[in-house]
Amino acid sequence: MRAETLIADLIDRTRANMNRAEALRQLPLSALNARTAPERWSALECIEHLNRYGRFYLPEIEQRMKASRHPASPDFRSGWLGNYFAKALAPKEKLNHMKTFSTMDPKGSALDAGVLDVFLQQQQQMLLLLDRARRTDLSRVRTAVSFMPLLRLRLGDTFRVVIYHNERHLGQAEREAAGLAHERSLAGNAQ
Amino acid sequence: MSPTHELARLIEVESLWEKSLDLPRNTYLKVSGSIDRNLYYVEEGSLRMFVIREFEEHTIRFAYTGNFFAALDSFITGQPSDLYIQTIRRTQLKVLSRSRFMEVVQQSPEYSAIWTRILELVVVQQLEREQDILTTSPAERYERVMQRSPQLFQEIPHKYIASYLRMTPETLSRIKKS
Repeated sequence: MRAETLIADLIDRTRANMNRAEALRQLPLSALNARTAPERWSALECIEHLNRYGRFYLPEIEQRMKASRHPASPDFRSGWLGNYFAKALAPKEKLNHMKTFSTMDPKGSALDAGVLDVFLQQQQQMLLLLDRARRTDLSRVRTAVSFMPLLRLRLGDTFRVVIYHNERHLGQAEREAAGLAHERSLAGNAQ
Repeated sequence: MSPTHELARLIEVESLWEKSLDLPRNTYLKVSGSIDRNLYYVEEGSLRMFVIREFEEHTIRFAYTGNFFAALDSFITGQPSDLYIQTIRRTQLKVLSRSRFMEVVQQSPEYSAIWTRILELVVVQQLEREQDILTTSPAERYERVMQRSPQLFQEIPHKYIASYLRMTPETLSRIKKS
């Protein structure tokens, strides 16, 4: 596919992700900390999970692009493994349950709405990197992966993995936050 | 009638609008790195345009109810631009693509004259703004903008006015009091 088509698509997905985070920020802290079951993540824990991924991938992407000598390429071809991960992490109608790694598990951390500010700042950084990626080769620049040492993904696939993963957990955060609102309105009716 | 009103009326009469948007507060309409070749009209609400440098937001301009606006760099060149555009409060917009708008402008001398007039006004505003930024004294910067657009101080939250005036919110409070 054309590299520009992918970059423009990922920029627009990031814009949508930022708007979803802004919408979450309008909610009361009680909704952001609520969970629909004891073992589930709250909305803020979902976002903290994404921030932990961002803390790994944003500097990793930046450094790999900086170190690269590859000239810009107008095309991008997905790698089979990168494509597999991107698709596995994307949100689906019926979500496939996945297990996270302990360092990425936010459960039990003390969280406030500042988590959303960090997420939004990371997205601004992401936009900067996506724009810079227009002057590089999305297939030949490769990055490390947080969950598998030795493995390298093509830069275009790394961007897809991180941004689709953001979409997935923003959906989860919205559902957890809305779960409380639902219970509340039921309680209100009972009185 | 101002050229802005005239253009809005013409587009309305000929029902050229392609889309309406109803956006909650703090919605990003455009982000850095994207291309946006639409012309927007604010039916109700307000927005800010800014760029980010070294993790800091720098406010470039605002749009209020009754204004046209565009990401003018991207609108003209068709290239990605660094501009962010975000709603300040709930905002209703009408949208017209450049391609459709330019078709009409090229066919109609009436449209063409109004559009030229609007672009001329934008150039004059940009020169004013350039002089704002070159004015060293914060109090003088405040005075210039106050004279030019008192509406700003009624519609826009303090922190964004301070950013537009290139001063901290504390400095702006102090100047307002004195």
